Amino acid sequence: MATHRDTNVNRTRTVSLIVIAVVVLALPLFLSQRYLFRILINIFFFAALGSAWNIIGGYAGQLSHYNVAPWAGVLPGSILAALVAYFLGKLVLRLRGPYLALATLAFGEIVRILLLHFTNVTGGPLGVTIPFTGTNLWSLQFPTEHVNYCISLGLLALCIYVASRIHNSRMGYYLQAIKENQDAAENLGVPLARTKNLALVISAVLTAVMGGFYQIFMTYIDPYAVAGLHMSIEIILVAIIGGVGTVWGPVIGACILVPLMEASNFILGGGRAGASMLIYAVILIIVVLFSPKGLITLVPKLEGYRSE
Amino acid sequence: MGTQVNVFIQALVNGIMIGGVYALIAVGLTLIFGVMDVVNFAHGEFVMVGMFTTYLLHILLTLDPTVSIILVIPIMFCVGVLIQRTLIVRVVGLPHESHILLTLGISVLLMNFTLLIMGADPHSIRTSYKFSSIQIGQILIMLPRFIAFSVAMVASAMLWMFLTWTEMGRGLRAVAEKPEVAILMGINPKKMHWLAFGISIALAGAAGTLVTPFRYIYPNVGQTYCLIAFVVVVLGGMGNIPGAILGAFVIGITESLTCQYVALDLSMLGPYIIFILVLLFKPTGILGKGKAY
Repeated sequence: MATHRDTNVNRTRTVSLIVIAVVVLALPLFLSQRYLFRILINIFFFAALGSAWNIIGGYAGQLSHYNVAPWAGVLPGSILAALVAYFLGKLVLRLRGPYLALATLAFGEIVRILLLHFTNVTGGPLGVTIPFTGTNLWSLQFPTEHVNYCISLGLLALCIYVASRIHNSRMGYYLQAIKENQDAAENLGVPLARTKNLALVISAVLTAVMGGFYQIFMTYIDPYAVAGLHMSIEIILVAIIGGVGTVWGPVIGACILVPLMEASNFILGGGRAGASMLIYAVILIIVVLFSPKGLITLVPKLEGYRSE
Repeated sequence: MGTQVNVFIQALVNGIMIGGVYALIAVGLTLIFGVMDVVNFAHGEFVMVGMFTTYLLHILLTLDPTVSIILVIPIMFCVGVLIQRTLIVRVVGLPHESHILLTLGISVLLMNFTLLIMGADPHSIRTSYKFSSIQIGQILIMLPRFIAFSVAMVASAMLWMFLTWTEMGRGLRAVAEKPEVAILMGINPKKMHWLAFGISIALAGAAGTLVTPFRYIYPNVGQTYCLIAFVVVVLGGMGNIPGAILGAFVIGITESLTCQYVALDLSMLGPYIIFILVLLFKPTGILGKGKAY
């Protein structure tokens, strides 16, 4: 009986996935405005970043601020990001809860202070303008929004694929066990350090790839915009609104948050600095207090993907 | 040779002066952690709110910061109690993740609300004694910094006396130590929670008032204070008040020495590096009690 239900659920899921894929792929054919493209690309981009954060922050409940990782993406290749994440992870992932958040915050601050100090490398607060003299594939700029659209969609698909593979694997269960009760998990033989570090590295590599893309998309990068609180909050918020520790949560979160932000920027005219962050903050507080598991709990179809 | 020693002592004195203010911010943070087990990532923003309250009192009523602190403390106490009773109370006892996210939300809310109303421009308060200083031998102490240090020390001492000698203070410590037993002794932990939060926020606000004569006032200023306060609190052992005061002086002096001997804009690098080293090698803090893993 159970098997029958499972295949049924699986079939519905596959069908809906195909429908979504077709719609999303066909969408560019009907869109003519650059503005709408940008919104969609932003949705994909933030959904992907949210998924990447989710791997370490959501499944494992290891709250870290992504101040370092996106910056690593500026440097050619994500191998470096993997290395940085690996050593950072070795150092700080023993820490728990608030201590972990604080340590990563302090690391982020150190990076920021150094970036601002050594202005000849990074341009200081002025930032680096793309194109720069990188030689990797990512420094190419693409002429049309269609290409950007496809890249961001591809990245999102990659992140969702990785997240769902992790979710349904032994590692996914390890991470959830760590989140629920670290001591109990350790007693049952979950290799704490290795699992957490692997999750951090995967998460950081994905984020770094996205960082590389983001820099092309925005054609501009500066320490405040990327390493700043603004970006961290947006990424975390995307995952939390949708559903922490779920595969589709960040996608739902991005679908809600990005249009909301665009609308608020449009209405408020961007003239009043702080207005958008104010809205973020209110949403964050409301979600934490009233729907800490995220909006995905309202979607029964995706139940199978939910973390129990 | 003599001048070099003087430069060193001067940096040391500057560090102690600012360390006093950090102590005042940090004891509040550590008090909340000890009593409620809540990690308040919005603590720096309350310092910022204190600074802006002082600024507004100065603009509207031309009050000097040394006078307006008498008003700021009760105002900030009420703000703290209000926030505790409406928001924080809902996450007490939940995992730390919820505290972090909620207080992060409060922090961003306060920061951007202020930005929206007051704008991003830095403000400053001009006092008649802004550039006055006390000279002891070759060492100069700026008067506003000396006032800030002295008042912060008096306030910290008063908190210590309150916790040690009064019925309420003993109640607070009882809840911090063993909430279950405190309930059996007829102490209402909920009351102690809002009392602790109110005191903590009042102290943060008072620290904000004290720094206004020599620091710029702008909406993002709280972020630095928040991280410093955490560095100090972890250094002293989370929940440990004497530890926080000791940690504050360590951090103040480190900041001042880095500023003097490395580079002006790298002044915060020293404290952060010490912080990470402490987290890695002595996470219980210099005086013990904290628990990082």
